[in-house]
Amino acid sequence: MITRLTAIRKWMVTVVAAVLVTTTGWGQNVASIDSMANVIDEDLTSKQVSNPIEAITGRVAGVTVQKSNNGAAAQSAVRVRGTTSLTGGNDPLIIIDGVMGDLNTLSSIYLGDIESFNVLKDASETAQYGSRGASGVIEVKTKRGSNTGPTFNYNGSVGFSSVYKNLKMLSAGGYRDYLTHTGQMLIDKGYDTDWQREIEQTALLHDHHFAFVGGNERGGYRVSVGYMDHEGIILHDRLRNFTSNMSVHQQLFGGVAVIDIGMFGNILKNRTAVYDVQKTFYSAATWNPTFGTERNASGGWDGFTYANQINHPLALMDSRTEDKTMHLSTHAKLTVNLASEWRLTLFGAYSNNDVTTSQYLPTSIWAHGQAYRGTRKTESLMGNLALNWDHRADAHHITATLYGEAQRDKLTGYCTTTTNFTNDQLGYDAIQAGALTQWDGTRSYREVPSMAAAMVTASYDYADRYSLSATARADASSRFGKNNKWGFFPSVSAAWTLSREAWLRDVAWLDNLKLSAGYGLAGNMGGIDSYMSLNVLMPSGIVPVGNEAMVSLGNPKNINPDLKWEVRRTFNVGLNATMLNGWLSASIDYYNSKTSDMLYLYNVSVPPFSFNKLLDNLGSMSNQGLEISLGATVLQRRDMELNINTNLTWQRNKLLSLSGFYNDYWLEAPTHVDIASLNGAGFHGGNNHIVYQVIGQPLGVFYLPHCTGLKSDGNGGYTYEIADLDNDGEATAASDRQLCGQAMPKVLLGANISFRYRNCDLTLQLNGAFGHKIYNGTALTYMNVNSLPGYNVLADAPKQNIVDQTATDYWLERGDYVNFDYVTLGWNVPMGRAKRWVDRLRLSLTVENLATITGYSGLTPMINSSNVNGTLGVDDKNTYPVARTYSLAVSVYF
Amino acid sequence: MILVGLLALTACESYLEEKPSDRVPADEAYKTRNELYLNAVAAIYRDVGGSENCQGLQGTGHGVYDLNTFTTDEAIMPTRGADWYDGGYWQALFLHKFEQADGTGDVWNYLMKEIQGCNGSLARIDKFAKAHPNVNVSDLEAEVRALRAMFYFYAMDLYGRVPVFSSTSPSVADLQVKSRSETYRHIVSELQEVAPQLTEERSNLPGTYYGRMTQGAAYFLLAKLMLNAEVYADDDWTDATHPDGKSIKWNVNGQQMNSWEATICYCDRLQALGYQLEGSFQRNFAVNNEQSLENIYTIPMNKYLYDTQFINLFRSRHYNHAAAMGLNGENGSSATIEAITAFGLKRDLNDMSQLDPRFYMTYYAGTALDLNGNIVLLDDGTPLVYEPWHVALDVSGTAWEKTAGARMAKYEVDPTGTKDGKQSDNDIVLFRYSDVLLMRAEALVRNGQDGSEPFNAVRDRVGATPRDCTLDNILTERLLELAWEGWRRNDLIRFDKFTRSYTDRPQLPGESNHYTIVFPIPGEFLTFTGTEQNPGY
Repeated sequence: MITRLTAIRKWMVTVVAAVLVTTTGWGQNVASIDSMANVIDEDLTSKQVSNPIEAITGRVAGVTVQKSNNGAAAQSAVRVRGTTSLTGGNDPLIIIDGVMGDLNTLSSIYLGDIESFNVLKDASETAQYGSRGASGVIEVKTKRGSNTGPTFNYNGSVGFSSVYKNLKMLSAGGYRDYLTHTGQMLIDKGYDTDWQREIEQTALLHDHHFAFVGGNERGGYRVSVGYMDHEGIILHDRLRNFTSNMSVHQQLFGGVAVIDIGMFGNILKNRTAVYDVQKTFYSAATWNPTFGTERNASGGWDGFTYANQINHPLALMDSRTEDKTMHLSTHAKLTVNLASEWRLTLFGAYSNNDVTTSQYLPTSIWAHGQAYRGTRKTESLMGNLALNWDHRADAHHITATLYGEAQRDKLTGYCTTTTNFTNDQLGYDAIQAGALTQWDGTRSYREVPSMAAAMVTASYDYADRYSLSATARADASSRFGKNNKWGFFPSVSAAWTLSREAWLRDVAWLDNLKLSAGYGLAGNMGGIDSYMSLNVLMPSGIVPVGNEAMVSLGNPKNINPDLKWEVRRTFNVGLNATMLNGWLSASIDYYNSKTSDMLYLYNVSVPPFSFNKLLDNLGSMSNQGLEISLGATVLQRRDMELNINTNLTWQRNKLLSLSGFYNDYWLEAPTHVDIASLNGAGFHGGNNHIVYQVIGQPLGVFYLPHCTGLKSDGNGGYTYEIADLDNDGEATAASDRQLCGQAMPKVLLGANISFRYRNCDLTLQLNGAFGHKIYNGTALTYMNVNSLPGYNVLADAPKQNIVDQTATDYWLERGDYVNFDYVTLGWNVPMGRAKRWVDRLRLSLTVENLATITGYSGLTPMINSSNVNGTLGVDDKNTYPVARTYSLAVSVYF
Repeated sequence: MILVGLLALTACESYLEEKPSDRVPADEAYKTRNELYLNAVAAIYRDVGGSENCQGLQGTGHGVYDLNTFTTDEAIMPTRGADWYDGGYWQALFLHKFEQADGTGDVWNYLMKEIQGCNGSLARIDKFAKAHPNVNVSDLEAEVRALRAMFYFYAMDLYGRVPVFSSTSPSVADLQVKSRSETYRHIVSELQEVAPQLTEERSNLPGTYYGRMTQGAAYFLLAKLMLNAEVYADDDWTDATHPDGKSIKWNVNGQQMNSWEATICYCDRLQALGYQLEGSFQRNFAVNNEQSLENIYTIPMNKYLYDTQFINLFRSRHYNHAAAMGLNGENGSSATIEAITAFGLKRDLNDMSQLDPRFYMTYYAGTALDLNGNIVLLDDGTPLVYEPWHVALDVSGTAWEKTAGARMAKYEVDPTGTKDGKQSDNDIVLFRYSDVLLMRAEALVRNGQDGSEPFNAVRDRVGATPRDCTLDNILTERLLELAWEGWRRNDLIRFDKFTRSYTDRPQLPGESNHYTIVFPIPGEFLTFTGTEQNPGY
């Protein structure tokens, strides 16, 4: 194990190189021979994150963490070794102290409470999670009580965030001049307003965290509370999160058994005026700049009917969306050492997650106003049992585990929507202020899915030189049809520590060299909902029956009783080395995986089907990649130290097929299916599809007409000239299209550089992505002077005088970037005699989102380039302004 | 050990079973006659209207109604700059480039889904009848068969050849398309068989039979089917010949009749059932039009209860016009030059000398007024003036981009409409009696008789001067009386005028053989059944 401990920081991005025994949360010891990326940080609080997952951004090869936008509560999309499914379940499984959850669950943990992240990527690791492992697994371990005396620790930070880059739109003067000059209708209210600035604010952020730790040799405890309060850079944006984490462990019967009990939970409140990201930023950029910022006489906001796709930006700021999440997880684990070689572990967990969403859309942006309130509740009860055998004899080491698991969830929820509000005095707090509640405005649901699993694992190691391990796991889910309830997920792996061989033992500069390989199956059921295999009816509509209105039952989709798991088969091989007494460490990993039985919603003929969509397990996709991690201690002196850790990921995804037989019926998806399109005025329907899924290509490729240049329209304006790619004598945006690049990066880079001089240290984190493209739909829209007078244009637009918004490759740009994620300057205050009262004191200053190096002409190249949805690869009037955050943190130990 | 394993497995079986509490197993949803009606029959009535694109017979976008309306010389959806291009959909419809109009296949899917739904419903009724021999459900069976025949009528009218099947899980063999005439005769015989078993009550009137298939609806459909005999009995519509309606014979209640006589017979039947012209043309389209004596079959609407929509007004009126009424609008659909010409509108809108009395009951033109008679203002403070004569397929960049075209006014505005005004209380009129009178007039003329009486009754009701009852005048009268009611395509095809050229619509190359009188059948269906595409596509 390579460990770089500086006096003050324990930043490690380590590649575990020896046979590592990890205690996974569900209580069983897994002898893992595969590479496992492990991120540990003791001083993470200097970065103000809203979800701890952001802390591993750029830290682990093969893992992409991307914030969906720059809002205070933006969710991150996490991809471990690529996208493996078309229908869902691409987020990794998150396991916190043995409790299974998702990325949202992770926000119930304060970053400072986390001891380690283990990212499981390899076949044999993910196969141990069977039906849920296909998209990788991130194990999060929180800190535990110590076996020394009590300590108390406070971490806190305060900072602010402000916008440093907006789009340069035409000012009111330029807007008037252009319209007057071209003789168009000018609605001039006489003001000069920069609407982008008007909806922004300087955000205040502060975080606080207290931890009490204590214990003795027989047990320990840790209790912590955290609070974060983050304003966003858009008016009214605010995220507050209160977290709490408690854990106790205690030896019983003189050490024969150990009991661990833990509880973590949070209350997260998020408030925003951005109910529709695109509408907000589209409106702020293009709203008539001659309008004023004051309400009109009736207390509302002036409308501008020629811009019917957007709203008065300040009217939008009157909308409110609030989420409140309450999460509580409790878990207990009993470990009993039955005999010297046998151990039994029992684990149980219960968690409850409650999300209440409230939204009010005022009368000025929504006819008659609309209020919504809804609650979604997820309860989960799970338990598992593991019996371990660990046997050593001379150079032989054998371990085996027998494991069983069961989980039952309960998902319930209800919501109500009301409309027809007289005015905006009352909103969702008095939802009955809306005169009208329509039949489809109120609903509730309940689902109780259950799962079960059984697993056997065994490993054999000879002389710490050769090792072999195998896992066989069977999973069952209630969501599948009678004949497909169970799935089988086996795996094998082997490792060879070459540096222990006689012929390498004498190579002085080589500390450790290990070759490992594995193969395994993992499943994904993200695309399967409850009751998909059953012929059940639900309330489907309201009809007059006699003099009454009644609700009829129906099933509005085709039933497919044969649905089953998607299966991902992965092969991986890796080489890890440490050299020069640990000064240099390197690892290189290659993986190749194939998803089969991939779910896809096919278009089918009506009849014989009743509906024209059918979900079925036909299709396959491959992912392969090469991951290189390098860690070097470039300099190590008493007063000075320089560490550099970098990781480089090369990845390639390919959609192999989407066709096959469903019974006797041949299903086939079209070769080109659009994923992301442009929206906004003049983009409804039409040839505005930008990103496609194309069989035989990576998921998310640009398929566009080729623009040969700007062509004069004879009246001083310019249009995009389209090439006749299919040589049929007619150049049309519909049929003359070609593949022209991919939306997901081919290469990802992460680098962390830390430098210490005496008690001061400087850390820089940078991330980069290369080889992909971005469609600048924002520029395409805002450069079209034809959208005046309804929609304002970029300041440069009149000069170029483009009167066209046909989507061509003209605005397809390279997306490569290097982003300086943050830089932290820290000072460990020498305590001297004060050490009697204060054990340690650290002050640090962090600047986040320092700068971005890119050739991309839009606001930022850091748009969605990993999540396959309607925004993939397209910058379309929906990008938050770019902001920097400055914060000052203090960490004190007593 | 094995025993424990087996026990665990058995426990698992039940543990892994889904027992939904928020839905009902299909087999438990039809236990009583009431449940049977609600979940097997009323559930299909719900789909006669719709709330999503391509769903419903009228009231939504891109559906049956739009295929029958925006493909004709009656209505046009002009491209207005950034608005209403919609990927060329509306232009493709207007120009009859149906292969380029995305979504014509979804209309097929809708109609076939309903036909399948009716088959499923009949299977449920049959199962129920076997389990409950003492409960009479033959009336429900007749009703569903009539409903299925109506969907077949629309499918056959739009696509020509359709599969006639009754299985709930049809095989390839079941789904072989029949020739148009075979399908046609099947629909007729179904309706003839079940019509007497239906109720004589009114369907448009709230009560037991509100929105349901009645004798009125069935006889209306039979009259339509008879009147279009020359079109529907023609198996090759591209060969420039079609059978003669007089020589197509039908057995109506034991009597041998030709198509025109049969049409007249069914029209008489409707009269006998008590349907008659309302004193006021507009009452049929009023917010509370349920009491109309003229409406035969409607889509029940209730802005507070049902989610069925009626977007015909919403998508037509100008934003400011709608806003002045407290609603929303999308500023789109307009009357064509051909339509306003037929109505006798002059370039000078104040010259009303030739104007049909129904013009302003059907359209907004000139200065727009709100419900209180105040002038509607544009954002710049000038009055909103609709310009009927400036309408064109693409008015982008013109001074009339937002104001060109006369707009739909046929239905009374419900100022308390919900969902932006897409939901109102006016029931959507599908079949009404003035159409019956015009069908009767036409059948009489085609049969060599005089149709003046029913023809001029329709004109007289609105105070229009009598006209000669010629076929040409009948077609024009249908445009005036039934404007924007979803019949224009059907009428033009019957009068052989659907494929002609008119303003902004040149005849397509090859269209002189009339291949565009039916729409192309979706590729998925062709592939599955090995059916050949309709000729010309």
